[in-house]
Amino acid sequence: MSRFLLNRLGQSIVLLLIVSVITFFLINLAPGGPSAAMRMDASEAERQAIITQLGLDEPVVVRYAQWLGSAVTGDFGVSFSTSEPVLERILSRIPYTIELTLFTILFAVSFGILFGIISAVKRGSLRDHAINFISVIGLSIPAFWLGLMLILLFSVQLGWLPSSGVGADARGENFSLLGWLSYLFMPVLILSTTILPNIVRFTRSSMLEVVNQNYIRTVRAKGAKERYVIYVHALKNALIPVVSIIGVLIPRLLSGAVITEAIFGWPGIGSLIIQAAQGRDYPLVMGVTMFVTIVVIVCNLLVDLVYSKIDPRVKNV
Amino acid sequence: MKKVLWIAFSITSLLFLAAGCSFDNNDDGDVTNNAGASNNESSETNGNNTNDSETNTNDSEVAAGEPGGRVSIPIVADPTFNPWHPNAFAESNVINRVLFSGLTKPGLDLVPEGDLAEDWETSDDQLEWTFHLRDDVLWHDGEPFTAEDVAFTFNEITLNDELGANNSSYFNEVNEVEAVDDHTVIFHMNSPVAAMPAYLSFNTEIIPKHIFEGEEDPWSVNSFNKDNPIGTGPFKMSEYTSGQSVLLERYDDYHGETALLDEVEYRVLSDVNTHVAQIMSGELSIFALDDLASVEQLENTEGIDVLSRETPRFFWISLNQEDERFQDTEVRQAMVHAIDRQNIIDTTLQGFGTIANHGIAPALEEYYNPDVPGLEYDPDRAIELLAEAGWEQNEDGILERDGETFEIDFEIGIQGDLEPISQLVQQYLIAVGFDINLETMEWNTMIDKVVIDRDYEMSLNWWRYPADPDLYAYLHSSNAGTGNNIPGYQNDEMDALLEAGSQESEVADRVEIYQELQELMAVEQPYLFLWYPQEAQIRIDSLQGVPELAFGDALHYINEWYLQE
Repeated sequence: MSRFLLNRLGQSIVLLLIVSVITFFLINLAPGGPSAAMRMDASEAERQAIITQLGLDEPVVVRYAQWLGSAVTGDFGVSFSTSEPVLERILSRIPYTIELTLFTILFAVSFGILFGIISAVKRGSLRDHAINFISVIGLSIPAFWLGLMLILLFSVQLGWLPSSGVGADARGENFSLLGWLSYLFMPVLILSTTILPNIVRFTRSSMLEVVNQNYIRTVRAKGAKERYVIYVHALKNALIPVVSIIGVLIPRLLSGAVITEAIFGWPGIGSLIIQAAQGRDYPLVMGVTMFVTIVVIVCNLLVDLVYSKIDPRVKNV
Repeated sequence: MKKVLWIAFSITSLLFLAAGCSFDNNDDGDVTNNAGASNNESSETNGNNTNDSETNTNDSEVAAGEPGGRVSIPIVADPTFNPWHPNAFAESNVINRVLFSGLTKPGLDLVPEGDLAEDWETSDDQLEWTFHLRDDVLWHDGEPFTAEDVAFTFNEITLNDELGANNSSYFNEVNEVEAVDDHTVIFHMNSPVAAMPAYLSFNTEIIPKHIFEGEEDPWSVNSFNKDNPIGTGPFKMSEYTSGQSVLLERYDDYHGETALLDEVEYRVLSDVNTHVAQIMSGELSIFALDDLASVEQLENTEGIDVLSRETPRFFWISLNQEDERFQDTEVRQAMVHAIDRQNIIDTTLQGFGTIANHGIAPALEEYYNPDVPGLEYDPDRAIELLAEAGWEQNEDGILERDGETFEIDFEIGIQGDLEPISQLVQQYLIAVGFDINLETMEWNTMIDKVVIDRDYEMSLNWWRYPADPDLYAYLHSSNAGTGNNIPGYQNDEMDALLEAGSQESEVADRVEIYQELQELMAVEQPYLFLWYPQEAQIRIDSLQGVPELAFGDALHYINEWYLQE
């Protein structure tokens, strides 16, 4: 086990290095650096002053070495656009992204599995086809469009939900559960569309496979109720592949969060990376990329560990 | 149980589809156009009070207003609370001019009037500008405001070349600022600059010496720039949450009329479509709309006014003068003749614009001459002019001279409605025989290529300038190559007029100079002048007391705004 972990750690470090090199050179060599990300009528002297202040007159390789040198000590530098430490900016945004993704996972997994089961049990029925149809639509509709439509419906037309933000009022002293959830509802719904259809289809196919196995026939033969057969005996085994797909889907959630957060003014990591990229805030781009890479690595590791717990046949040796 | 869930699910899905269908029709697909780069000053405009407003609900009488309430204004990114900070873009400007005060501010006719300064005069040789300051101004932390603050702001921040302060190029001719006594400052000039009072009203607010003195790098004083700014404006900082909102509260010791509103909230909303949705749902109060595709939708919404405001801006096409094909005046004139500008204004701009024959916008009423003869839409005349310059259409209908076809790379940044405009322009130019390849690119990439490297043939964009007709920065030959003379146009006669205008402080004499300049610009087309856009100001109708100015300028009068039930 510890050997497995050590092995994975080694792989992860190599992966982080590769990602950092690629990102650093891509963003630094892209046209339109910080001196271009100024007002259009900025004078040449103003642009030159920025280049000097930010140390951009050094060659890219030298700057990468400097960045790496301080990054390994946990210092990710200072954001170009705000002069605040990069780590501080990221840390202040993380809780919001975690909140959004956690609720999305909760929502998508519970509904995804439910619909997956319905779809499998009632295979070939109208419901099955409806669920399949809507899954395909959910996968195909761009999130930004659907998000705007939801805003137009729930905020503009009906006036039920706030169209953006996290609802600072409902979080502070006069906390109200309903107020808080009303801000979460639309972002969670939109972000769910990036993973919910996959969970539905995965649950469905894995369920179909399981219910045709011999032990289910045995359970049925004992005279157990159908509900008991499905939810106790079949579900347990059908969920194993679903767990692994959830781990794989988390990175997709993080990239989906970029669009969702932009539409709903959600102050998380996703909206931060947009600001960073548009403003050519190199240290911030690097910081966020490294952070997201680490999250993905950790998620994959966790999935592997959990997997071996659920399914004893899988051993991480 | 299963049934209930099933029904709930079906209803939700139906709602989705219904929402999709019903809104899709009146949305005109503007949802995809959210490219507004945060670093561009798109929502930042400067305007004027010509009598074009649809409703005249404004009431400059402050006394009429009921105190209390909060207005909400959208910004597209996290702000920096320091007007001189190189990262203080449009989203910061709309906050900083409420938190801070400048020596002057744009008057209701855009002619600068006093703010921190009561009055001013220039010496006979115009090399000294003396400003007499108010003696009743207190910083938000209670410290008195003095001439030392002004001298510090300019000498240590603006004129310090290493800092690259925002807008410092306006003050290139300032040698030093001297605090004569507590309430008098003198700007010592290297050469006369008639537009000084206008420049001092434009994102050049004064910051407190007692906070910044002794700081090595004013840009990294985060306790001020990002957290708790101290200004002299009608509202002071209450709470800032990065990525979410900035909340300002009324400052009771403001040197002008104390504000009527309790609070001003700025919401960080990077997606401009969200601005439209939020003002329709009543969560926002006022902003200037960039993407005019949603104008109609907003006009049809109850409780929302769409107002048109003049601003000192002009749209242009720049033809790189390094390219000898574009040095022919006939070619430049022909291109203007070939473009049906009124049609572009009526369609893409929804009527929010006036055809431009030169660079001085109607917002500058004193100087603007509407009677300068323009180059009207006339493709036949365009073809004639091109023939005079030696360009004839070949059998494929493409212009050709000495075996070379007229092929142009047309490079633009993606922003607001620049792309649909450029596509129309491309079609009009193709119609008279030009071979135009339109290339769109991300905004910063365009700045790099067109503005910094000048590695382009043709581009389309706009300038917005302080409320003064001094176009020296955009047209003088000394600004070709590296300055803001993007086409790199050079003309001695124009240089002489620009120099005279920038130095002359007698208004009557200036008007004469700029009349002549307008006529010269209209003939020469150093930029191809397209139109003067009007700002589409979107406002909830319960918000009153906003003067008839562009949104950015009306912010200087935010103390007079009030909410009416």
